[in-house]
Amino acid sequence: MKAFKLKLQNLLWRMKSVSHHSFVKTEEFLTRHRLGFIVNWPHWLKAIFYLLPAMLMLLVFTFYPIINSFMISFYTGFNIQTGEFDNYTLLGNYIEVVNQANFLQALQNTAIIVFISVPITILLSLFIAVALNSIKPLKGFYQTIFFLPYVTNTIAIGLVFAFMFSGNTNTIANPVGLGLANQVITWFGGQPIAWVATGATYWSAMTVILMYSVWNGLAFKIIVFLSGIQGIDKQYYQAAQIDGASRAKAFSRITVPMISPMIFYILITSVIGSFKTYSSVVAIIGVDGMITTGSSGSLNMKTIVFYIYDYISLAAQDGLMSLAAAAAIVLFGIILVFTMIQLQVGKRRVHY
Amino acid sequence: MEIRLEELTKIFTDKNGKETRAVDNLSITIPSGKLVGLLGPSGCGKSTTLYMIAGLLKPSGGKIFFGDDDVTKLAPEKRGIGLVFQNYALYPHMTVRQNIMFPLENLNIKREEATKLVEEMAALVGILDQLDKKPSQLSGGQQQRVAIARALVKKPRVLLLDEPLSNLDARLRLQTREEIKRIQRETGITTVFVTHDQEEAMSISDQMVVLDYGVEQQMAVPQEMYNHPANLFVAKFLGNPPINILDGKIEQGNVVLSDNLIVGTSKSPNATVVVGIRPEDFRFDPQGFEVTPDEIEHIGRDTLIYFTLGEKKVRAIVDSDSVYGKTKIKLSVKKDKLHVFNPETGNVVL
Repeated sequence: MKAFKLKLQNLLWRMKSVSHHSFVKTEEFLTRHRLGFIVNWPHWLKAIFYLLPAMLMLLVFTFYPIINSFMISFYTGFNIQTGEFDNYTLLGNYIEVVNQANFLQALQNTAIIVFISVPITILLSLFIAVALNSIKPLKGFYQTIFFLPYVTNTIAIGLVFAFMFSGNTNTIANPVGLGLANQVITWFGGQPIAWVATGATYWSAMTVILMYSVWNGLAFKIIVFLSGIQGIDKQYYQAAQIDGASRAKAFSRITVPMISPMIFYILITSVIGSFKTYSSVVAIIGVDGMITTGSSGSLNMKTIVFYIYDYISLAAQDGLMSLAAAAAIVLFGIILVFTMIQLQVGKRRVHY
Repeated sequence: MEIRLEELTKIFTDKNGKETRAVDNLSITIPSGKLVGLLGPSGCGKSTTLYMIAGLLKPSGGKIFFGDDDVTKLAPEKRGIGLVFQNYALYPHMTVRQNIMFPLENLNIKREEATKLVEEMAALVGILDQLDKKPSQLSGGQQQRVAIARALVKKPRVLLLDEPLSNLDARLRLQTREEIKRIQRETGITTVFVTHDQEEAMSISDQMVVLDYGVEQQMAVPQEMYNHPANLFVAKFLGNPPINILDGKIEQGNVVLSDNLIVGTSKSPNATVVVGIRPEDFRFDPQGFEVTPDEIEHIGRDTLIYFTLGEKKVRAIVDSDSVYGKTKIKLSVKKDKLHVFNPETGNVVL
């Protein structure tokens, strides 16, 4: 172990010296090949020069698609293969999208995921972070356990969830091969539920998606909150203790305000992330995003991103890509508005 | 409220099971309404003692009494103490008003009354005009006052200050120590403070306790302790420039240094001793012993001279006029200013 540590330190030392050396060598090379003027460039010009590769990638894969999406959302009869379109329309595509029952359903599904799962994950992860911070034995062990979901594949976790919540009308009538969730329910004497299969209801399926979203979001938030909490000087708590503050009070008056920048960061990123939910629905419900509920019909569990992505198979048809683009812009607008509101609230509530 | 520590002991055990006695059988009584300084070098257990009085650390042994109440097992919030931390521990996200109000929120009192108390305290420490600022907008000295106000607002029985002046610059330190003295006198609260700075301790405490390795060395009124240190440690610890320590012996009632130099008298029997002479206890004396200064530093009113006695380098502070321009100076030691210690135990020889 010690030898390994020494080797690692040597390697790091070597890397530092190599990086320094290459820096010197680069300058030499530039000077020798009459490129020395780059060395003499002003600081900002050099910065731009170094940023160029990343800028190019962003330009091609981010900025161009964003602008292009905007453009496409104003075309009519656009064909992605030929790149031809019939005419321009200002709001036509938008009006068509927001009048679609499918889009409204997707909007509702997404909104439920955002407004239920985000508050729950944040509160739960805050609670777990505080708990983790206050235990002494096996601290590292528990931290590892709570961090595992973060390094595990989303689809894999989703499949495990789907497995845990398995059970449909047939298996319930004849209880064989029920998932873990239904087993627990039957142990406590309850009736098994068809969570996400035939016989499912909207809220049973949504419950599974929400549970998955909450659990999947926990790991990263716990790590962020825990590092924040560990950074708080213990003396604040000692002072609060002497002043007779209860633990709950110390939490609400000291811990929360002191890590408010982290909570704020997590709130914004997870609201944005939840609005973009996609893979969790694929993992739990399936690639169709629909649950067939017997002969009566089906449940649509698609999110907005799911709705947009559905157009990929229809892209060859004239005008449909414009609807997808319009939906994407609507989602962008919604996220923008919510983020702006949060930033405004954050100005008053967050203590840096 | 009188504070009584009885055989208070704190043992820290590290990962390897090694024990450190941070505080060792400390038994002292801090009189009611006095300002008492716990003084000692770093790691002497003074802060540990303070935190045990506060209840933030559990003693390994011994008892703590506030008056007649045994508070050893009492939680900090039930002891009725106010504590000012070394770095103040002001809540950075609250205004000064909210900071001072915080201890009151946990008591069962009316809001108007709390507001009144906060303003009363702010007036006492002189920060009435800063109430709506955040701690980060205040200077170190002002933050210190806020911390004191916060500690005092719930009218504690005891005020504890951990290194109250260490985070302030020299000028502010002088001002703040007057301030602490004034606040203590006005409120009449029993106050214990911890410091490693002897000048600070001597200037403001009514009594001070010197600790070393968790063991009480001496407890006395500052000037008394300076004039009559109980042992070699206290003698060396107090005073700047430090006391001169010389080897010597007592022969027929005379205190004799090397080269048979007689510097004073003692009633003790003949023995080998360690002699301590404070630099300012030398005086210019035509009948005294002659020394050749190796170095002379003029520090205004006084002059600091360095010379060699036997093998030891000795410092003396003498009147500037009497030594000006001289290469040889005759000195003697002021009467009754010799400190004679037993070389084994370090205790003073009477």
